[in-house]
Amino acid sequence: MIIESSDQVSRLSWFKRFPIPRNFKVTPESRIEKGRTWPAPADAKRVKAFEIYRYDPDSGGNPRLDTFHVDVDDCGPMVLDALFWIKNKVDSTLAFRRSCREGVCGSCAMNMDGTNWLACTRFISDMGTNATIYPLANLRVIKDLVPDLTHVLAQYAAIEPWLHTKTPEPEKERLQSLEERSQLDDYYECILCFCCTSGCPSHWWNGNRFLGPAALLQAWRWLTDSRDEAKGERLDALEDPFRLYRCHTILNCTRTCPKKLNPGKAIAEIKKAIVEREK
Amino acid sequence: MNLRSFRSPLARALGLGSAKSGFQHWWAERVSAVALVPLCLWFVVSIIAHAGSDYLVFIAWIRTPFATSCMILMLIALFHHSALGLQVVIEDYVHSGARFVAIMAVRLGCYGLAVIGIIATLHIALGG
Amino acid sequence: MIKNGTTDGNSTPARPRPLSPNIQIYRPQLTSVLSIANRITGLILSLGAVGLVIWLSAAAAGPQAYGVVQSVIGSWAGQVALFGCTFAFFLHLCGGIRHLVWDTVHGFELRSIYISGWTVVGSSIALTVTAWVISLLVAGWPQ
Repeated sequence: MIIESSDQVSRLSWFKRFPIPRNFKVTPESRIEKGRTWPAPADAKRVKAFEIYRYDPDSGGNPRLDTFHVDVDDCGPMVLDALFWIKNKVDSTLAFRRSCREGVCGSCAMNMDGTNWLACTRFISDMGTNATIYPLANLRVIKDLVPDLTHVLAQYAAIEPWLHTKTPEPEKERLQSLEERSQLDDYYECILCFCCTSGCPSHWWNGNRFLGPAALLQAWRWLTDSRDEAKGERLDALEDPFRLYRCHTILNCTRTCPKKLNPGKAIAEIKKAIVEREK
Repeated sequence: MNLRSFRSPLARALGLGSAKSGFQHWWAERVSAVALVPLCLWFVVSIIAHAGSDYLVFIAWIRTPFATSCMILMLIALFHHSALGLQVVIEDYVHSGARFVAIMAVRLGCYGLAVIGIIATLHIALGG
Repeated sequence: MIKNGTTDGNSTPARPRPLSPNIQIYRPQLTSVLSIANRITGLILSLGAVGLVIWLSAAAAGPQAYGVVQSVIGSWAGQVALFGCTFAFFLHLCGGIRHLVWDTVHGFELRSIYISGWTVVGSSIALTVTAWVISLLVAGWPQ
């Protein structure tokens, strides 16, 4: 009931989706159709069923939901291991991004059992009976579980994630005290997996103009960096009814961050900085 | 994503640039909210205290200067907060050009209703 | 060959890439559910504000008009609507106070978010029930 950390999985099975139709308000090319069910392995003792979103851009068809039965004893403990098992033993056309397999690169971010997380740090045992795997929510799908991150990465670029300075370069480094450096803690660790932005309802409805929690967290990272000399300009660029103020503190972002960061708090800090300079 | 455009993703993300405003709306919503906490509580408590009373008791209560002022302040804060909140809702969900008309209509409607409510309160308070 | 979702500018654009499902599959959580509840209660209260002005205008118009409005409020439908408005008011009030606390950049740890969230739900129910019990006692139980 009380969630203390974002890695706690919700156990409620009866309220897994909002009570709306599966293809509610979905454009024709995005309608999900029924897919095929792949046979379970013959001699497996423990089998887990996964419903996985599939989309083949070369086939000309619509996305569909395929059901795979995974021999849990034959693969590792994480959902990424299950995806590899499926790709190696059942259907080699299953496409997904992956790299580090230890939760530091952000490649395997996807929606599992309704929440965004990294596949390599989500235990199969934490998935419900009807385990579902979808790509990150509200993003264009290139193939299967591979989302098109172009727009969200462009929003990150739009906040100018580099040091703005007017003072000329010093001989050695730009100095920063330990206390000033600690201001960057819990913000610099973002791996740009976009679980937060993809889970934000405000970004679903206004993603073309609202920057989203990932970009705004990084905006705060640069705002709070004591070496940066463009706070005013950064705040000017952010103070916009859509870029910043579409955030209504829904806090799905903080709930879903696989690195336990707090985008909601970062955005509140930005709003507070704007208050401080206005009043 | 628009397939027909060669505009770069960065240009699309930057859009028309920052409006460099938005704080006033956010601040006004908070100020009106802070005002509404005591005013609405006063209103709800008064209604409960006068539950089941007849017309004359109710009129006598509104006529007291304290109740009249609180009611008028509450109407101002309530409709200002409502106008701001509804504007945010329209901006969130309506993306066509109709949103400008909707926002104007909602704002004018809220202020109109506030005036009607204030006049009605004054009518009760100052009437014979 | 035109890749799906791209265009080379020389021929008709390829079919657009599908959008991955969002609200259709995303798990409802305390965060998002309380947030939309705050918005829905706000919309209900905006309608309630219109009702408030109607009620005040009726009172200003005289005892007859006031009596008509009171009988509408006193009907079963009116009482249900009033109960709904009371609950909406307390939920929006408690939720609003939670938002004001967030604006001071306090209470953003997940533990605090969940504790404050359940507190909002619990106190709204408690306040609504209390308000109605007291007003029924003051007015006399309806026969």
